[in-house]
Amino acid sequence: MDVRQFKDKVFQAGREAGLEEMEIYAVSSKDLSIRVFQKEVDDYTLSVGQGVGFRARFAGKIGYAYAETLDEDSVYMLVEGAKANAQIIDSEDEIVFFAGAEDYPTVKAYNPELEQVTPEAKIEYAKELEKEAFAADERVSLVNWAAVGYREVEAYIANTLGLEQSFSRNGAYTYVSALVKENEQVKSGGRSRYSNSWADFNARELAKEAVGEAASLLNADTVKSGEYRVLLRYDVVRTFLATFASVFSAEAVQKGLSLLAGKLGEQIASPLVTLIDDPLLENGAASTPFDGEGVPTRTKDVIAAGELKTYLHNLKTAKKDGVESTGNASRASFKSTVGISPTNFYIKPGELGYEELVRELGSGLIIISVQGAHSGANPVSGDFSLGAYGYLVEDGKIARPVDQITIAGNFFQLLQDVEAIGSDLEFGGPGMGGNVGAPSLIVTKLAVAGN
Amino acid sequence: MLSERIVTDVLLAALSTGGDFAEIFMEDTYNTSISMIDGKVEQGVNGRDYGVGIRIYQGFRSVYAYTNNTSRENLMKVALEAAAALAGSRQVQSIVLNRMCVEKFNPVRLEPQRVGQKEKVEVMKRAHNAAANFHEQISQVAITYLDVDQSVFIANSEGLMVDDRRIRTRLGINAVASKGNEKQSAFRGPGRHMGFELYEQIDVEEIARDAAQSAVTMVNADYAPSGKYPVIIDNEFGGVIFHEACGHGLEATSVAKGASVFAGKLGQKVASEIVTAVDDGSIPNAWGSQNIDDEGFKTRRNVLIENGILKGYMIDRLNGRRMGMEPTGNSRRQSYKYAPTSRMTNTFICAGESTKEEIIANTEYALFARRMGGGSVNPATGEFNFAVAEGYIVRNGKIEKPVRGATLIGKGSDVLLKIDMVGSNLATGQGMCGSLSGSIPADVGQPTIRVTEMTVGGRKEAE
Repeated sequence: MDVRQFKDKVFQAGREAGLEEMEIYAVSSKDLSIRVFQKEVDDYTLSVGQGVGFRARFAGKIGYAYAETLDEDSVYMLVEGAKANAQIIDSEDEIVFFAGAEDYPTVKAYNPELEQVTPEAKIEYAKELEKEAFAADERVSLVNWAAVGYREVEAYIANTLGLEQSFSRNGAYTYVSALVKENEQVKSGGRSRYSNSWADFNARELAKEAVGEAASLLNADTVKSGEYRVLLRYDVVRTFLATFASVFSAEAVQKGLSLLAGKLGEQIASPLVTLIDDPLLENGAASTPFDGEGVPTRTKDVIAAGELKTYLHNLKTAKKDGVESTGNASRASFKSTVGISPTNFYIKPGELGYEELVRELGSGLIIISVQGAHSGANPVSGDFSLGAYGYLVEDGKIARPVDQITIAGNFFQLLQDVEAIGSDLEFGGPGMGGNVGAPSLIVTKLAVAGN
Repeated sequence: MLSERIVTDVLLAALSTGGDFAEIFMEDTYNTSISMIDGKVEQGVNGRDYGVGIRIYQGFRSVYAYTNNTSRENLMKVALEAAAALAGSRQVQSIVLNRMCVEKFNPVRLEPQRVGQKEKVEVMKRAHNAAANFHEQISQVAITYLDVDQSVFIANSEGLMVDDRRIRTRLGINAVASKGNEKQSAFRGPGRHMGFELYEQIDVEEIARDAAQSAVTMVNADYAPSGKYPVIIDNEFGGVIFHEACGHGLEATSVAKGASVFAGKLGQKVASEIVTAVDDGSIPNAWGSQNIDDEGFKTRRNVLIENGILKGYMIDRLNGRRMGMEPTGNSRRQSYKYAPTSRMTNTFICAGESTKEEIIANTEYALFARRMGGGSVNPATGEFNFAVAEGYIVRNGKIEKPVRGATLIGKGSDVLLKIDMVGSNLATGQGMCGSLSGSIPADVGQPTIRVTEMTVGGRKEAE
């Protein structure tokens, strides 16, 4: 049945079971992903999916349940599941449901033209990616990824206090990765892009960048262990920001899991750093007029010129701190409980182009990739130690490629150590922790382990 | 779950444009997850995942489609939409389904669905109390409880029709120790392919205390010295080194496309001769076991490396076609939302001759990685990295002091050749492995091993 109809049934059954306030958060999505390998469509996946998350108050506590089929069995399962879960909750946290606002911002993140791009055009594009990657360098031995995808998502939220909102967003993504082989040496390079404008997908440009990067890494060697001044490329900065985004969450702060506790109004970063959360960004991959609790969203500086301005709040953490929600309640999916996440979350770009940054670095290392951020970084302490590769820079010029090194340091120190910011801001696309964007940065020093 | 009539019609519809093989994977899964922080239940979620995935092959081409709506009408529509991605004329005219019965070697005594939420919370409280009371430096304990009851039905155009039920139970224990501004956390996550009887078989309190001990040791530890030197990796979750550095490169997903350093090396020496490694999805009740894989093949023991020689890969149906080799019962997927591909099940280095004590006593200087964190690998180059969750410096045959913040990097193929001692204390640990077909439960394992040299990343200069 239709989600609005289903909601009425669940609320009705919930009232009969003695549930108090109730809320439905439903997501429906359409996906198509295509991968080409050796001129053939190697993978073609299409899906139409839906799911409903349900939360309700019973005897003062909140219980959750979710289902993927909107049938009578699910009505029963949601009501009984949420009721059983409400009864085991000990947490004294006060959970508030939101009755809806008068005004919601206008946000544009759905491009109807993108939906019109045919599957055939997408297949052609993926084939071209592979072809262009082979054409870019004769040493390309394999194009192990030539992929393109489309996704459209509609989020719908309604509760028994009268809130009812919905919002649709679409976007396309592409990824190409190639292996370059010389003698017995193999190096890989990849590029991805996310956008909801098809015109942004240039197969030749993307393939050339991926292959160029792989080729530039041939004959890489390690460096002597020690401290280096480092240029972190935009995508590496993005990885750091995504990995440590939770430290800005008021939930982490209140639970003692963020070292930013008690630091509001303090200088926690170099004055060059401004960190923005902008849910209203036009065509942003995480743009939305309302958050996971139905609260209207707004743009804010989280760090302004180095000063910590605010944590990210949902209704629960805001109530605890006696502030307004920042509209950052998140539902990682309809299966998830309400958490906190940034939206379009980015470091404000500076003036310097990438080449200028390399000159500015003078001597040091450029890091273009880090590995193992999910295991080698600790968001609680800020410590990280990650596999990395990139280039050695001498006299403002790239001297040679570098691999088999690790970089280690601390995220909070890194924020303080920013010495220059590039103009090359780029977003990474939708992810569980919002859509993170960053320009390239120079930092004073990181510990590098090599030889 | 679906009638034979519907299955046959949908498979035939999927094959209407020239596909030579079609498959239906249907799933109805009930989940419970409960989270507790500092002894208080914060959240409980019950969920039901339900849907059907339809897969079609035409030679090496593969099309996949999935939906939550399992009405005959919708399944026919989805099958035809998926078929439209292929072009050709019908090759398969009729299908005769044969119901297959599988031996269920993963017995479950206490179905989690029949255990009340309050009993589940009791187990969590036991774990919490043991960890929280371990030491005054323990500042926070987070416990997660999980159970999954997955019923699957698989049918294909070769006539296979089979079902299976996978019940898995797991407890996650995360202990945080604090000293001044510093915090270190340690995780333990025991799990099995079994029901609530897991908690009769494991000592929840002891595991929780072990996590707490690890966090306390690390918060009081100095940073690890960086550089190239010998590394001793302990048993159990230490097996993640093999999983990441070699296991992924032995999956047909990488091998079939030549995107693995192990491609084309069957019969060749790829490891030190004291290394034998196995993937075995048929170990009763192990975390990564299942009666059948997600294409309906029986799981089994596959020798990957024997005395240093590469013996086999882990192969799914589609990559088996590409490689001209038989599937090995390794095809897995997170859910109906993913097309299956070759994945690990329970993967481990087999026991050797030395005792752990001998290995340490015979080492002049090394990093002893008692607990590994997670890691990742680029299968094309074999370059891996992973974090050491609990480390020590070994000097002159003795454990000298704990160290933290170390990362190990290297190439799987190099490390395998540099293993010079293998212990006799094989044990496994549980993890969730993320790859092409989603996140799946997998056991990693090994005895204590010594690697003659690895690059250790850390914040301190070499000693």
